[in-house]
Amino acid sequence: MKLYRKEGNILQILSFPHEAVEKGDYLLIEDQEAGKALVAQVIDVQFASIPGVLEELLRSLPDGGEIIQGEDFDPLEIAPHITYIQDASLLVCKIRATVENENLSPSSSWLPSRSQSTIKKLPIPTLLKLAKVDGKLPIVLGGTKDSSLLTIDAIHLDGRLNIITGKKETGKSHLSKLLMVNLVGYKATVVVFDLNGEYLSLGMTGDGKRNAYYDKIHVLTPSQNFKLALKQLNLHVMLGILIHALHLPGTSAREFRRIWQFLKEKNMLTLHDLGETIRSWNCNQHVRDALSSRYHALVNSGFFTDNLVEATLLEDCMSKAKEQGGAIVINLRNTGAIDRQIVVEYVLGKLVELLTGWKLKAAFLFAEEAHLYLRETYWDDIVTRMRHFGIFTTFITNQPDTIRENIYRQADNIFLFNFTNEHDLDVVSRAARVDGETVKSIARDLPPHYCLTLGKVVKDFPLVVKVKALDVRTMGETRLFFQD
Amino acid sequence: MVIEQYTIATTPRYNFPNPTIPSMLPQRFMEQSIISLKQVQNRPFQLNQQIIQQNNDSETQIQGFRLNPKQITLSPEREKTTIAACDTSTIKIGETSTGTLVAIRGANVWRQNKSYRYLRIGPFIFHITTENKAEVYHALERSCFGTSNHENRQNINIWQMPMRIASLLERWLQTMLTSMINNGLILFDGSLTAGTGEVPTRTMKEILAKASENNNVILAFSKMTNLRINGHVITDVPFDLKPPCLIETIGLRPKPPITLLGDVFVAKLTHEDYAFRLDISKDLSLEQKIEAVEKLLGNDVISQSYPETLRLAHILCTFTANEVLAMQHFTVRKYGLKLVNRPDMHKLLFGPFGRGEVCS
Repeated sequence: MKLYRKEGNILQILSFPHEAVEKGDYLLIEDQEAGKALVAQVIDVQFASIPGVLEELLRSLPDGGEIIQGEDFDPLEIAPHITYIQDASLLVCKIRATVENENLSPSSSWLPSRSQSTIKKLPIPTLLKLAKVDGKLPIVLGGTKDSSLLTIDAIHLDGRLNIITGKKETGKSHLSKLLMVNLVGYKATVVVFDLNGEYLSLGMTGDGKRNAYYDKIHVLTPSQNFKLALKQLNLHVMLGILIHALHLPGTSAREFRRIWQFLKEKNMLTLHDLGETIRSWNCNQHVRDALSSRYHALVNSGFFTDNLVEATLLEDCMSKAKEQGGAIVINLRNTGAIDRQIVVEYVLGKLVELLTGWKLKAAFLFAEEAHLYLRETYWDDIVTRMRHFGIFTTFITNQPDTIRENIYRQADNIFLFNFTNEHDLDVVSRAARVDGETVKSIARDLPPHYCLTLGKVVKDFPLVVKVKALDVRTMGETRLFFQD
Repeated sequence: MVIEQYTIATTPRYNFPNPTIPSMLPQRFMEQSIISLKQVQNRPFQLNQQIIQQNNDSETQIQGFRLNPKQITLSPEREKTTIAACDTSTIKIGETSTGTLVAIRGANVWRQNKSYRYLRIGPFIFHITTENKAEVYHALERSCFGTSNHENRQNINIWQMPMRIASLLERWLQTMLTSMINNGLILFDGSLTAGTGEVPTRTMKEILAKASENNNVILAFSKMTNLRINGHVITDVPFDLKPPCLIETIGLRPKPPITLLGDVFVAKLTHEDYAFRLDISKDLSLEQKIEAVEKLLGNDVISQSYPETLRLAHILCTFTANEVLAMQHFTVRKYGLKLVNRPDMHKLLFGPFGRGEVCS
């Protein structure tokens, strides 16, 4: 390989056919005299602009578009050299760092010697060692191209905002499960908003047996094993549900507050009494109608109950998870849009309440297709305010444009699967921790189950990894018509 | 050293015979190539500053003739006839302190079942120095034609050597075609002018005789000509021609030792604004010559008044820049030549006014 050009932090390197270099590989451009080396990542592989190639191609097809047949008597065997030159490629590389005295710095301000520099492939394990991508709480993501394992540190997910995105059936949920079970393994508390019931069998192996996580996975299905008594609720959580999920106007909300306090003082916080009180409350008829309609929405959701035996204490599940580590999977699979919002409002409100009261240290929240249940104002809350309470979110989506731009800007880690659509790639490339060229060039060619890992978990060295298989029972598969 | 022998497949329809290609010349070319290259092992090697693609197009100026004002109108003759053509090319690929590195390649093309086939020989790379030029040429000439003209080779300038070697290869390819084909048309690049250093009269006569023996007709197309009437090149002389047609030249008398072994025509074979000098073997009657050109019209694709078979022969032997790079790579890898980049003195002294354009 030979250094050809440098423009900004882009290097162009001439590579010959025997030097098998692919997109995503890392190269070390070493200048012995300067005592430094550049670490660059191949973001595109192009044909080198070799003079005469066009003539060569045209010459082989002069017979009405068909390849002209013939014999070549080439006693000196020049033909392999012609092919060798013709197949030379130009590697477009992004400079990631400079190595000096075995220390990495993000500088690319110096220019290595074009004639004297030696260029070689930088094995991923060496890069990871240089970048110190290791740690006390390892999570093996999978294998890299050179058959080494990519191990990230769970600490780099702690306190971070993560995004897992890619088009359908590329392995996003698989990766989120992998992260989740590893976090649970390190005794973390994980809350999952499971839109398609994909996480319900995390505690089972592929052949249906219980696995090591069986006792740590708590599946809560609203209106089945997840019901609430009004007494379990704080007023502000209930107001959150009414205002944000059921769009109760401000005036009515004030009236509801009075009703709630009235019932609480009389120790009558039941669904039945709430309904009766709203009916007989002395207030404007429009306010009463508004309250009455929301009341019926709450009743019809099936999420609320007056039977305390039926009611589940989310707090209890949380404290179990706190001690042993565990995942609370909120199964939203068969829940309607409004009810889904009610449940999410409750869970998030409760989480904040537990965290502010230091009943819970922190929680990792995994939110699949969050735009389907997260209200507008929560996006900012999650990336700014809730982070300080200790909610560290991982968004999982196949529609990257449903996540707002400011989320991308503040994302600490991005796990990017294949996208071919230019618009999708444009959206993802707005992330602050990555350059658009890398995203667009590498993500486009990723095969299924290969993920471009970006951000703090890889110390800002984008790495392609084949996500390792996980022995858990697959759920959430698409129901097919043409299948027995 | 044993050279693999290539066989050109024959088809009964076209009666394109050929057992095997005589391997003597390619073998000798390769031996000479290797011997000459071994002399430069591990020496510094200056890349060519100006790559000049050369083609054997020499022609001697002849005057005192005229054109027959009566044009010969042609009509395509569809009788199945094999069309074959050959061409060679040479290119300088670099310089050493003692000489020059050149590459030579030749191609035979023939039209068979309405599709073209080719046999390409080379490239052969030679390191030519003042010391070895005579030896190289002598050895090749002997391999080619069994004898060597000592007087001739002593006078060859080192810069003429690539053309001379290419010419040897071309004569050999022509000989091969004339021997292998029966009742066909063989297209040469250039004229049938002999008696020059590059084209000895005896050699050319032998080629024509062999062609005649096998009932072949030689048609030699010159892309460029210096034959002029009233100062105008014959192919530019303004006359109202209705193609396809030929115009006969009358009274061409070259000065000895130059010999014209063919009759010279101006050929305008298509409506496009191109005409070429066409030489046809003298030993044929005018009718036979006309019939040969008509068979060409009926059996080959003619575009811009130029036969496709000959065009392909030229295209296939011409070196591309990519191949020059590959040959430089080969010499560096195989013979350990060290690339040096001496400054171009013209550019150094005269800056943008120094020559440096690539000629072709």
